[in-house]
Amino acid sequence: MTAVTAATGRTTVDELARRATTEPPPRPKARAGPLEWILVHIAFLVVVAFFLVPFLWLLSAAFDAKASAYIQFPVEPTIMNFVKIFTEHDFARVLANSVFVAVATMILVVFTVSLAGYSLSRLDLRRKDWITYAVLLLQTMPISATMVPIYGLARQLGLRNSYLGLILIHAAIELPFLIWLMKGFFDSIPRHLEEAAWLDGRSKFRALIEIVLPLARPGLGIAAGLAFLSAWAEVLMVIILIDQDNLKTVPLAFYEAMRTQGGYTEVQYGVIAAMAVIYLLPVMVVFFAARRLMVRGLMSSTRGL
Amino acid sequence: MAVAARGRLGRNRLYLAGLSPAAFLLALFFVGPALWAIGSSFTNRALVGLDAANPRFVGLDNYARLFSDPDFGRVILNSVIFVIGSAIIGQFVLGLLLALLLDYAQRRGFLATSLVYAAVLLAWVNPTIIAGFLWVAMFDFYNGSLNAGLHVVGAPPVNWLGQGPMLAVIIANTWRGTAFTMLIFLGALRTIPSDIYEAARVDGASAFRRFWDHTLPILRPIAALTLLSVTMATFGTFILIQTLTNGGPAFQTEVIALYAFHEAFQNHAVGYGSTISVVMLALNLAFAVVFLRWSRARA
Repeated sequence: MTAVTAATGRTTVDELARRATTEPPPRPKARAGPLEWILVHIAFLVVVAFFLVPFLWLLSAAFDAKASAYIQFPVEPTIMNFVKIFTEHDFARVLANSVFVAVATMILVVFTVSLAGYSLSRLDLRRKDWITYAVLLLQTMPISATMVPIYGLARQLGLRNSYLGLILIHAAIELPFLIWLMKGFFDSIPRHLEEAAWLDGRSKFRALIEIVLPLARPGLGIAAGLAFLSAWAEVLMVIILIDQDNLKTVPLAFYEAMRTQGGYTEVQYGVIAAMAVIYLLPVMVVFFAARRLMVRGLMSSTRGL
Repeated sequence: MAVAARGRLGRNRLYLAGLSPAAFLLALFFVGPALWAIGSSFTNRALVGLDAANPRFVGLDNYARLFSDPDFGRVILNSVIFVIGSAIIGQFVLGLLLALLLDYAQRRGFLATSLVYAAVLLAWVNPTIIAGFLWVAMFDFYNGSLNAGLHVVGAPPVNWLGQGPMLAVIIANTWRGTAFTMLIFLGALRTIPSDIYEAARVDGASAFRRFWDHTLPILRPIAALTLLSVTMATFGTFILIQTLTNGGPAFQTEVIALYAFHEAFQNHAVGYGSTISVVMLALNLAFAVVFLRWSRARA
């Protein structure tokens, strides 16, 4: 059945992403000459410098009491920048808020995509690929284009300055891709397993929970991880939906710190850099622990932020 | 037969119920806002004041205003320059070159390859707003690393964000997004067995010939798809430019997403901002339909 691949812009992209991240690189055959080695490594040096210097600066600035835009080894090595964000910017509460929102989003997403992915996989309609097509179409909608209407809608529905609104929106943003991903996982689980459970007298829902979901655990893990990360990192919706101090999450605190501490003259680079390091931490942990999965998840979202 | 059909229908009903929570969320936050934007684009809805509480129907006024708005012309031009500069020239070309470089280095067994690979990916996985902050520091006139680098080679400092803001945001977005194209092409290049290159080499084919005969045919089919993908993603860029220049100075980097945001939240013209959003959604939809058709043809 080509319905899976028929409507998917994803298969091509996702398949290549999978290959780029999982397949072992081709075995080297010919040995390199010294000139070749030198040329390639010069190119490497330029590329690594371009991509890594900003991060090196970030690290040095976060641990420097005299941080400036200039990249240098910390003049006065210190962890005061980190202490400061907790004492002066109430960062403990901000962090707790962010963890709460991200975990709640994760739970909601796992629940919703398990049901939706399974249902879409098992649904027996002639025009099923239209649903898949519609889901993919939604996935290409940039949230920067719906920022204004989402603000207006949320205001009318009373979802501004409420975590309910934030959690629902963060979950919705990730749904199109994750539904599609989970459908793929469920497609690979043979139907006769659950059908046997039905004959044993289990309800459809119990068969899903007890037989099918345990087999889809890897997929659920990916969905959970991606949902957490996306809710953790997402900033646009937070900016337009939250303006109460006690509801602030990490991206909003960071955004505000940049605007208030970050006039072009007296930028408190150290403090903002310390916030950025903490903001980055979960992202880096996932990146180094599960790079492949994260890359596949990110590649699927063509939304510009 | 009849029993089987009823079983199928009954199960389908259950499956449709299983789809409903997701459908509800998607309707609320994807379809809902799109409809809301279309509705508001026919009104003079404002952020504050009387028109906030009781928006008035103004017909096509907003659209008439938009298409005669010289600022909007400028915004479209900026968006096009930004997409061509950072998506097509920056990310696509650089990503393709990096994929070729890394694939080549892997086939030669160079150990540093994975470090380079990780460095490119790192710039891409971090939250976009952090990318914005990092480049604010890089572009800093007095102390920024870029001008420090120019000083080392004896060049005068450049006022990046003041004099060449478009170039600056293009550089920053290229830095952030190149990994995507690189990964796609790297995935495609991995399908070429090394033996083919070796055989061609033994046959005396030049490096250019080997690229033309064996590498290019693998890359060409996905190039258009990738190009469209990065174009769509870049077209929606908001937070990176907002943190770096906020559209300025003097409107030079105001792209479409920023314009909608500024009209709605700074000029308090939500109706007009919605109109811009509608145009943005329509353009994006056109891109997306072409994108999905092409990928369907490839599948």
